[in-house]
Amino acid sequence: MVVLDPAHGGTDLGARGTEGIRESDVVLQFAAQVKKSLEFQGFQVIQTRDANDNPSFDDRSARVNAQRGAVFITLHVASTGLEGTARVYVMPEIPPAEHPNGLIPWDKAQAPFVGLSKKLGDLVQAELAKRFKGSPTTAQLAPVRQLRTTAAPAIAVEISSVSVADRADLDRMVPGVADAIARGVSEFKLSYVVPTIASPGGGTQP
Amino acid sequence: MTPRWVIWLGGILLAAVIAAALYFPSLRHQVDKVAQLTEKTAEQARRELIPPAPVRTGGPMVKAKLYWGTRAQDGTLRAVIVDLPLSDDPALRAKQVLNTLLAGPVDPEARTLPPDAALLAFYILPDGTGIADFSEALGTSIPSGIQSEQTAVESITRTLEANVPQVQRLKILIHGQEVDSLAGHLDLTQTFQVNGSGLAAQPARSGTSIITRPIQKAYEKMKAATKR
Repeated sequence: MVVLDPAHGGTDLGARGTEGIRESDVVLQFAAQVKKSLEFQGFQVIQTRDANDNPSFDDRSARVNAQRGAVFITLHVASTGLEGTARVYVMPEIPPAEHPNGLIPWDKAQAPFVGLSKKLGDLVQAELAKRFKGSPTTAQLAPVRQLRTTAAPAIAVEISSVSVADRADLDRMVPGVADAIARGVSEFKLSYVVPTIASPGGGTQP
Repeated sequence: MTPRWVIWLGGILLAAVIAAALYFPSLRHQVDKVAQLTEKTAEQARRELIPPAPVRTGGPMVKAKLYWGTRAQDGTLRAVIVDLPLSDDPALRAKQVLNTLLAGPVDPEARTLPPDAALLAFYILPDGTGIADFSEALGTSIPSGIQSEQTAVESITRTLEANVPQVQRLKILIHGQEVDSLAGHLDLTQTFQVNGSGLAAQPARSGTSIITRPIQKAYEKMKAATKR
């Protein structure tokens, strides 16, 4: 399963361009196409929002944390950056979470998944770099708030940018971004093993 | 035959059009000048509200290294050497360099922090954690996005790293409060690594976020070594 997160929404418009382009609108359009491409590859997809509402960071994380074996992708459009490029961000290393009760603290939920997130991020970024010249070839590290509380391989994809002179420039990127994400996730799925967490009794739990 | 008064009227109108065409560029220049002046005045007023950090008067100037962006606004930072009369006190020194960073580079396009943001306080805890308390404008006026927010924080951490070795990590507050994120993206509930070599050499302490590029390279090396 893939949980898609069109960022912002509601009163939070996200990045705003001079031509009236709003990140919260554009990411919904991107999400719709990414969902189609992922479903075409055989994935079940759910979205953290389908309309102009704004779930909290934790509500969005809860959607994916309730699933087993899911991946999480949050979609953003930047204010800056070279226009027509796309970057993938993953969380940097998080200190090992203490789990005396066999549970991972909510605010360190990403800790056991950092390596897997980097792998997923690199695969998606490589696909994006093939389609969008000037994009990095590997995923970048950034402490993105939304990713920290996510107990799954999780990446943030950021498109540049809302500053384009014409909204059509962003629209043209939609199919390429959707295809790159779908291919990256498909490749990741081949080697994805859900990590096990050590329990207090010395055993492991998925 | 055209009446004489029509010819005169036409002539006057033509002269008015020519005069307007000649005057327009000068008028536009004056309007731009007034707009710039208003902007400067607003920024000046803000700075006057924030008492400047005490400086070591009469002391020698120190070559401070400040990290601003580039015109490309692609997340790249560029070190700029600025002569400043820096204090020997680490907290005051941090205030001085951060206030200079906030004041902005010569090229406004290379700014990393919003012009209306202000540093309200800076202090250092005994464990080397620097606490920087900024005004709300840091979060509300910064261009929203992972890249731009990361660039802003990185310009702060690298500037502190270069000039205030006593600061080991940085916690950013907004108007005295911990906030979830800078402008919807970058996590501000954690601290950021400032001094201290990379992830491979020195594991981050609890709640530390690491964002510098050299550290990303170290991460790549560590990953490659783990694979082997």
